[in-house]
Amino acid sequence: MDYVFQFGVVWRDFPALLLGAWLTVRLSALAMGLGLIVGVATALAAASRWRALCALARVYVEAIRNTPFLVQVLFVYLGLPSIGLRLRPDQAALLAMVINLGAYATEIVRAGIKAVPAGQLEAGTALGLSSWQLFRHVVWLPALRAIFPALGSQFILIMLASSVVSVISAEELTAVADTLVARHFRSFEVYLVVTGMYLVMCLAFQAAFAAIHRTLFARWRAV
Amino acid sequence: MRAQRRWAATFLVLSLLLLLVAPPLAAQTIDEIIKRGKVIVGVNTTTPIFGLAGPDGQPEGYDPDVARLAAKYLGVQVEFVPVTGANRLPFLLTNRVDMVIALFGITPERAQQIWFSIPYATEAAVLVAPASRAVKTVDDLGGLRVGVPRGAMQDLILTPQAAAKKINLMRFDDEATALQALVSGQIDVVGTGLLVNRTLNRNDPGKNYEVKIVLRPLHFGIGIRRGQTELLQWLNTFVYTIKNNGDLDAISRKWRQLPLEQLPVF
Repeated sequence: MDYVFQFGVVWRDFPALLLGAWLTVRLSALAMGLGLIVGVATALAAASRWRALCALARVYVEAIRNTPFLVQVLFVYLGLPSIGLRLRPDQAALLAMVINLGAYATEIVRAGIKAVPAGQLEAGTALGLSSWQLFRHVVWLPALRAIFPALGSQFILIMLASSVVSVISAEELTAVADTLVARHFRSFEVYLVVTGMYLVMCLAFQAAFAAIHRTLFARWRAV
Repeated sequence: MRAQRRWAATFLVLSLLLLLVAPPLAAQTIDEIIKRGKVIVGVNTTTPIFGLAGPDGQPEGYDPDVARLAAKYLGVQVEFVPVTGANRLPFLLTNRVDMVIALFGITPERAQQIWFSIPYATEAAVLVAPASRAVKTVDDLGGLRVGVPRGAMQDLILTPQAAAKKINLMRFDDEATALQALVSGQIDVVGTGLLVNRTLNRNDPGKNYEVKIVLRPLHFGIGIRRGQTELLQWLNTFVYTIKNNGDLDAISRKWRQLPLEQLPVF
């Protein structure tokens, strides 16, 4: 092989890559927060007494979990303008990520709620807690603790999936990398560096999850 | 002993699997192409006129027709590999294709990485917008959303001036998505080729899309890896021949509804 590696172009444009990575981090962090809220809300809707609400939640979860993320991104950016909803590329990317993560988070949260022992629910009801109080004091924290690892890996997955939003011209890390490759034709060097950057971001998010886990469940450790 | 045999069997199965998924290694010489009986050509299938996926899924357009013609003159089959503006060069350099016939504008920067045949098509990097959009020069683009295919000529021309002129330059992975973004109203102006507004007007009537600015006239060449002297010599001879025997003129009339212009040589 007579290929000569030239990392110079990568370092020269490293600030652009960092800017792209920053958008990836922001999109991912926002999608994680909002996606979890959507997931909890949909899981509660799916468990509710109203049939129509249950059905709606099921339709949402099944529709999103059984279609490709790329198609969802294109639909939000290029399809929604037909009904008057015009979003910037980064907004469209975020919306698609929240919708996607929300559906997966729903299933994870549902499993967590199911994992709370029936006895504890009955004890709560016996104490006269309202259904909101029951959720807030009896269900939420144990459920979150049970699903924390699964939620963490789903969060990481959505961050990695965000690399496809370059198709709608959102300038996240992969998009910047593609632009650099198109300009300097140094695909091996650029993608090697970008792979390393994704790895670092994953490890950073995992460290953050571990820290959140420690803070939230500090009092559980003695048990 | 048995463990060893099991390892050997696993290894054998794995290498067979690897053989199945490994991309066909591109030919380095014209003899290899002829011996293999097929030429592997990278074409773009997202660009109206020059290359689109046909109803049967096979690429159709100016570039695929030139590729079919090259295969015919070589006496081999043609195998198409879809490429985009951004990945056509890596595909060539990593031996995934023998040659790229995909709206490859000839520039000195690109010629540092690959070799071009003499031009086989004439085009221009242009900006297209609906008739109602008042744009005459690049200076009028300030504040507008201009979509371009990533790494294409329009991208390379506009990038250096985008910041100073406050152009909101948006890079899409392929031309089809950029054009769709224009139709959806997600961008105001699109960077594309000379005749694409005809396709736009056919698919989205009423907006009267027109060419607003010609950024730079272009000629397309067939891209090959550097150092393939034999192949380059054959391709130049091939382009010379089809320019003069009416083959290329027929392709031009079929896809551009225009006779073939005088093409420069180098």
